[in-house]
Amino acid sequence: MCDSCGCGDTKLVPIDVQQRILSDNDRTATHNRHHFLERALLAINVMGSPGAGKTALLEATARALDGRRRIGALAGDLATDHDAKRLEAAGIRASSITTGSACHLDAAMVHHALHHLRWSDLDYLFIENVGNLVCPAVYDLGQAANIVVLSVTEGEDKPLKYPVMFHKADLVLISKIDLLPHLPDISLDRIIDSLRRVMPDPHVIMVSARTGAGIAEWIAWLGAREAGLGASHYAQAGGSTGPTGESR
Amino acid sequence: MHEYSIVQALYDAVAAQAASARATRVHEVHVRIGDLSGVDVGLLDTAWKTFRVRTICETAPMEVNRVAGDDLVLERIVLEVP
Repeated sequence: MCDSCGCGDTKLVPIDVQQRILSDNDRTATHNRHHFLERALLAINVMGSPGAGKTALLEATARALDGRRRIGALAGDLATDHDAKRLEAAGIRASSITTGSACHLDAAMVHHALHHLRWSDLDYLFIENVGNLVCPAVYDLGQAANIVVLSVTEGEDKPLKYPVMFHKADLVLISKIDLLPHLPDISLDRIIDSLRRVMPDPHVIMVSARTGAGIAEWIAWLGAREAGLGASHYAQAGGSTGPTGESR
Repeated sequence: MHEYSIVQALYDAVAAQAASARATRVHEVHVRIGDLSGVDVGLLDTAWKTFRVRTICETAPMEVNRVAGDDLVLERIVLEVP
């Protein structure tokens, strides 16, 4: 505050920063995205509650593709490598990311995990996020698209309770629809209505990993995203940074 | 509870600014948080107050400018410079 008398007072200096708080994560995500783009690899961030059926969906995806695409997965969990083992058994090249206590994956964890997976010849890479409807939505990983797996047993209003994740989803897969006959109080229409309220551009596919219902439509969605892979497509993917460092 | 991870990133950004300005203390921190950012402002404040202890930010309040959208931005800081 005092410039002149030498009393040792400090002066207050305001600095206009205007920087994304997660700019370091964004930089690493952009780096990951660049790797994926170079290899024409479709990277999908798979989010959803614990037990929504994320791993079962990937197993069903591998069964349906039956070797027509090379697929890999990074499976994020707080502890254990159970999911990665299940995915390996399904013919998916998989590696686990054990986060310890962290409730989400970030771009650096994905980048680190890529060093432990032979991924460069893959067609699809599924990044199975930690089961959680809140935190994973905040971190860009370098993916081309975000999907959320929402099981019919979770209740009809989950999209309204956790709007951020559904708002960021390019596609929602409503899973376990084979259970609907046993759930007289659950209305598929009401789940879809909840999704329409929070998703700017709602795309929804109803699936059952057990019966295979809807899996062909999901595979077709992946095929369309794969066909659309390109620089502009990646540049638009969730949370990516533009030249100013601002998000979208 | 990813707010601690957000605060870690926020602190790193503030500390880098403070170091390059040779500041002795951070006086104020101003952030802009969107309602679709996925961040709970109450938890963020608690995390900030926990994290800043015995750092250059020890006495710096975090002022939050809440906006629509998904912004998660360090807007402005005020530094104490000798």
